[in-house]
Amino acid sequence: MKEYIKLTIDGVEVTAEKGQTVLEAARQNSIDIPTLCHDERVAPYGACGLCVVEAEGNPKLLRSCATKAADGMKITTNSERIHRARKFALQMLLSDHTGDCKAPCSLACPAGTDCQGYVGLIANGENAEATRVIKSKIPMPASIGRVCPHPCETACRRQMVEEPIAIAALKAYAADKDLAADEQYTPEVLAPTGKSVAVIGGGPGGLSAAYYLALKGHSVTVYDMMPKMGGMLRYGIPQYRLPKEVLDKEIALIERTGVKLQNNIKIGTDITLDELRASNDAVVVAVGAWVSSKMRVKGEDLDGVYGGIDFLRSVILGKAPKIGEKVAVCGGGNTAMDACRTAVRLGAKEVYIIYRRTRDEMPADELEIDEAEEEGVIFKFLTNPDEILSKDGKVCGIRLQVMELGEPDASGRRKPVPVDGKFENIELDSVIMAIGQKSNLEGLEALELTSWGTISADEATFRTNLDGVFAVGDATNKGADIAISAIGEAQKSANVIDSYLNGCTVGYKKPILVERKITAEDLKDKKRIPREKVRVLSPEDRKHNFSEVAFRLTDEQAKAEASRCLECGCLDYYRCKLIKYSNEYDADFSKFIGEKSVANKDTEHPYIMRDSGKCILCGLCVRVCSEVMNVTAIGLAGRGFTTVVSPEFYQTLNDSKCISCGQCVTLCPTGALIEKVPFKKDVPLEEKSVKTHCTGCANACKLTAFSVGSTLTRTEPVAGGILCTEGRLGFAVINNPEKISNAVINGELVSVDDAANKTAQTIKSYTSDEVAVTVCDNLTDEALAAAKKLADTIGTSTFITLGNPKKCIADKDVAEFERVFGDKFNIGINSQKSKDLGAIPAESTDLSKIKAVISFGSVKPEFEDIEFIAVQGLTADIKADIIFPLVSSFETDGTFGGEIKISKAVKSSSLSNEDIIDRIINYLK
Amino acid sequence: MYNIKVGEGSCGISAGAAKIYSLLEKSNTDNIFGLSVTGCIGMCFLEPIVDIYNNDELCARLVQVKESDVEYILQFIATGDESAIKNLKISDDDSEFLSKQTRIALRNCGIIDPEDINDYISHGGYSALSKVIESLTPEQVIDEIKISGLAGRGGAGFPTWFKWNAARQSDGEEKYLICNADEGDPGAFMDRAVIESDPHALIEGMLIGAYAIGAKEAVVYVRAEYPLAIARLEKAIEQAKEKGYVGNNILGSDFSCSFRIKAGAGAFVCGEETALIESLEGQRGMPRLKPPFPAQSGYWGKPSNINNVETFANVTWIISNGGEAFAALGTEDSKGTKVFALTGKIRRGGLVEIPMGKTLNDVIFDIGDGMRTERAFKGVQLGGPSGGCIPANLADTQVDYKKLSATGAIMGSGGMVVMDESTCMVGMAKFFLDFTTKESCGKCVPCRIGTRRLLEILDRICKGEGKEGDIELLEELCIQIKDGSLCGLGQTAPNPVLTTLKYFRDEYEAHIKEKRCPAGECIDLISYNVLPEKCIGCLMCQKKCPVGAISGKVKEVQTIDHDKCIKCGRCKDVCRFGAVEIR
Repeated sequence: MKEYIKLTIDGVEVTAEKGQTVLEAARQNSIDIPTLCHDERVAPYGACGLCVVEAEGNPKLLRSCATKAADGMKITTNSERIHRARKFALQMLLSDHTGDCKAPCSLACPAGTDCQGYVGLIANGENAEATRVIKSKIPMPASIGRVCPHPCETACRRQMVEEPIAIAALKAYAADKDLAADEQYTPEVLAPTGKSVAVIGGGPGGLSAAYYLALKGHSVTVYDMMPKMGGMLRYGIPQYRLPKEVLDKEIALIERTGVKLQNNIKIGTDITLDELRASNDAVVVAVGAWVSSKMRVKGEDLDGVYGGIDFLRSVILGKAPKIGEKVAVCGGGNTAMDACRTAVRLGAKEVYIIYRRTRDEMPADELEIDEAEEEGVIFKFLTNPDEILSKDGKVCGIRLQVMELGEPDASGRRKPVPVDGKFENIELDSVIMAIGQKSNLEGLEALELTSWGTISADEATFRTNLDGVFAVGDATNKGADIAISAIGEAQKSANVIDSYLNGCTVGYKKPILVERKITAEDLKDKKRIPREKVRVLSPEDRKHNFSEVAFRLTDEQAKAEASRCLECGCLDYYRCKLIKYSNEYDADFSKFIGEKSVANKDTEHPYIMRDSGKCILCGLCVRVCSEVMNVTAIGLAGRGFTTVVSPEFYQTLNDSKCISCGQCVTLCPTGALIEKVPFKKDVPLEEKSVKTHCTGCANACKLTAFSVGSTLTRTEPVAGGILCTEGRLGFAVINNPEKISNAVINGELVSVDDAANKTAQTIKSYTSDEVAVTVCDNLTDEALAAAKKLADTIGTSTFITLGNPKKCIADKDVAEFERVFGDKFNIGINSQKSKDLGAIPAESTDLSKIKAVISFGSVKPEFEDIEFIAVQGLTADIKADIIFPLVSSFETDGTFGGEIKISKAVKSSSLSNEDIIDRIINYLK
Repeated sequence: MYNIKVGEGSCGISAGAAKIYSLLEKSNTDNIFGLSVTGCIGMCFLEPIVDIYNNDELCARLVQVKESDVEYILQFIATGDESAIKNLKISDDDSEFLSKQTRIALRNCGIIDPEDINDYISHGGYSALSKVIESLTPEQVIDEIKISGLAGRGGAGFPTWFKWNAARQSDGEEKYLICNADEGDPGAFMDRAVIESDPHALIEGMLIGAYAIGAKEAVVYVRAEYPLAIARLEKAIEQAKEKGYVGNNILGSDFSCSFRIKAGAGAFVCGEETALIESLEGQRGMPRLKPPFPAQSGYWGKPSNINNVETFANVTWIISNGGEAFAALGTEDSKGTKVFALTGKIRRGGLVEIPMGKTLNDVIFDIGDGMRTERAFKGVQLGGPSGGCIPANLADTQVDYKKLSATGAIMGSGGMVVMDESTCMVGMAKFFLDFTTKESCGKCVPCRIGTRRLLEILDRICKGEGKEGDIELLEELCIQIKDGSLCGLGQTAPNPVLTTLKYFRDEYEAHIKEKRCPAGECIDLISYNVLPEKCIGCLMCQKKCPVGAISGKVKEVQTIDHDKCIKCGRCKDVCRFGAVEIR
């Protein structure tokens, strides 16, 4: 008879069983109390200090994991003191945590794109999944992959070995694959919310905001003054860098999410901000910066002087101005490069870049400078326009003031200073001023501006001074920046606007993350692998036309390039409880930075990796290993700050008594203990999960199967449960690259049909009584029934069950495994289901007449002098004439033991087991 | 006949007492005088001490006895001529060190032979046990302890009777009585002295406790660094067994109690009762969550009672003399006496037992005779790393649990470290934090990492790298570590920082803002300089400087090369003219 008590938690009276802890009572009543060191499988420990609560009348903070609930108790779980204590514990843990939550590439990306994620997926051949990952942050990756100055690569640690990963090219590669596929990736759009949003400006910022708002179910219309969408991507970037056909395709995909696009509409002229505000629930201003900045040089207004972006836009619109044969472009950024290379393509014979510093200080992308040089552009470094010279009101030349580099300025670059009285003249037909750009804010006068004349938008909420009006991109705050910055702001603003539309504005908050400082010294043992070179058109082949200069990486190149990734980011990022709670409690640890414990990695174990730098000494691994498993492979060693979790005598885990049950990994709240992911490239990703059963043996343990794309990444026992090595860690065989998806006849890959036919013919060469059919316990009911049907069709009564597949225990001592698992698993029981179907155990079968066997499931019988007609197997290296592919329980739906439902976790690469058997039956008929 | 007793506690032995004993022994082949060892009398500053008794009466206490003094002792024994030992006798002033004390726990220390149970019995030993077994019920024993007002002497000051009663009331046949002799505070040696000098007092007190709670097994958890204490205790247990005080059917009653010793491996945290139990069970010494308290579920999950050595040493006296006699001593809240290990910059260091209610000044100046040098008294650290620092202006505080706690310090187990002006309070806090950081078991987060961060900040302040805001950061850390730590170690670890911040904040500020150490102790913040007006050019400093940093001609003013100087202070120590100054 259970006894119940009543207590009050956070002012609510709840009922709990007598003997329950406060934590259990709270959880049972849906009150969440955080903890990093408690699990129901083990005894309370009280190390992390997160589960603290207050009890009325007790001056101390109580650890709820260990405090028994008592009748009449009054518990508070969320006071300021509790919050402070929890936050402090998290701050302390983070201050002693060594690792990189996210890779530097991802942190450097203004849009927070998971570069390591998609690079890793490309390395593993999961291109579709890679596109999904990219598109969660960038709606037009094929375009951005081509034009982005890639801050990700600037931050890439691989350059400390030799060169950074070609992240941008890989992005373009994956996105182009998707565009070329039969079906393009289209994300799920949530149900309509009934709210509408107007976006002013159809550039990368506006389109991104529209895309992510549309995905949330809002009705979005984009208004743009130009004839087509794309903004600067279309009108500021030359065709040879970004073919507009690519942009068109990506915009079409954005439209698929339900975004409405309206071109040739100028704000203030065709429609007013007030009208948009009145007819929508929110307005996003993303008008960009479309006005070329002036240099205030004499002669700037002459005929033959053009603004950089004005010039590029005219060319793209097919209205290229007559620039003549001699052209000077003033400026050192990417727009200047685009302008000079466009001038070359328009037929100019002499094209100059006028830049007041030297090549080293040029802000333009290195590759752009190189390619411009290859195309014959003449660089006039350390010169500054003094006056644009004219003849008959038209440009005829330029007078340049010669400069030299002086002291470094605030940006750290050496400041150019004029050399007194030193000038140089060049004869010219036209001048292009590519020195910067600003916004035209006509029609947006109601918006408050910054002192730089840009729209003032809150950095966390993107709010302007007008309610419901948000602003992002080049027109805001610090002004013009690269496209990916606008996309990043837009994507973040979409979440904020969504929250605004839901009635409670939640601003963007930079996540709390742990980072590591790495030097070339740390990477000195890495093998040098040169960066894959993207093939480009030769200067001669490209300088007279607007064909795209760069080709895409080939499949082989992409895999090889992606495989160079150093895998900086933590594999546990999406599961880590420490970082989850740290963000919930806003545990900024910067003021407590101090010495960290020594970080050691142990990767020798076949299934488990240990990283002591990420260990928070919660003791869960140690306790589950001793209290639950009774193994004690690991323990605590050392004292105080230098305490570590370690196998005895500081051995590796592989040399310890570990039996590979994986319990420690299941319970580890951080990335200190993780499974070896069955990927060629380890990559931290958000996984999909399915609740199903392990069919490794007749025990059919409940488990959760996790997958990424078509790869089964790991399994976990259901809450509080346990799996054996096979179920927990030994499933990796299904990801075996050698795994066959077609049949094999005498070592040759053939279709399942051919093999089924051959099998049927061979069966027919025997009499019914001479053939036996065997099954084993890892088959589903459907496959068992099909096998029984096959036996009946053949007409044999020798239908044998071989029972359980032999346990895989990773080269560990079988006796030790059975000692630990023996009472937890019924090792060796036969499936009742196959017996119900009439199967007989092998040992009680009369085999005297049998001449040939056909065998299904992962157990192959050991019969002497009997021919195997066909067997199922994972790989082709099984001794048999005919091998059929074997489909594991993770790849199929069905039932098991008559009652248990199995759910597919990943797509099977071959026909199901029962389908294969049915084919044989068909050929027998 | 003369009886000579040589004080052979660890302190006496390290000062040379064993050699004196053996010299005396060699000269006594004819047994012309009685010769025995005794424990520690508590006057560490005067060791080795040799007491000469005329039959049972002390007739001469000789102090700081050297091997060469043995012949004078023998001369006195032979002739009875006191002039032979006149120069060796303790001064009247120093005699006050003992005469001003009130000894209960230490009553036999330095008087009886700790290795002879008969000596203990002849001083009234085991009569309390007989009384308990013959005429008192366990409840009556607990009542007597309740009347006495005895509180746990290990530091927390929890009423002893309450713990005993809780263990007595707990269900279960199997119960354990445990003595915590894991004395780990730097500067504390009270328990060691009791075990080395009067082990039967502990055994008898424990037997009474075991009788009261119903335990059949008693365990003494003593640190392995106390080999002499362990050896004497082992011997005492053997002797008690032989006499029938330990074992089955003690004194013919149906009360049985076995005894054993567990030597701890020297982890400070094992002084925490639940960590001690873990260690006893063969586990890593880490505290358990409370509740359940040991009285409900302790050693092997059975009801257990844990008291420290001094508490048990008081028990025997209380039973013999009555709880009321004990309660007559002390204050309203704190009864009886307290033993302190007086150390530091004090003139007379040693073991001091005084009635509760005396002031710290009484201990430091009356008994301890003030500072060892001319420098002024600055403060006193009570309770070791868990305790706090009380400044000179509060030294009139009474020795009383509540009154000491009100200052931010604690009574503690009895460590009393006296500091003068030359002690840097930031450095002192750093010293204790260095200790707790290393001794933290590593289990709970605030203690494991928090104390480390505290230490790092204190370290940078001492190095002159302190930053604006560091004091506030220290305070924040202290509050959170106290609030969030699992056991007493962590909960009290910030006390040295908090109390020095409370009473000596200006010193912290001087380090941070002016990069100056007012006490002149932080070597990164000081320099040694020669005062020209005082230097006579004797070259003594130049000769003693280990790195050749001092130069100058004879009879001229010397100069110190600050680039070479390692700030060892030798020059200042050797200068007889006060010409070297710390800036």
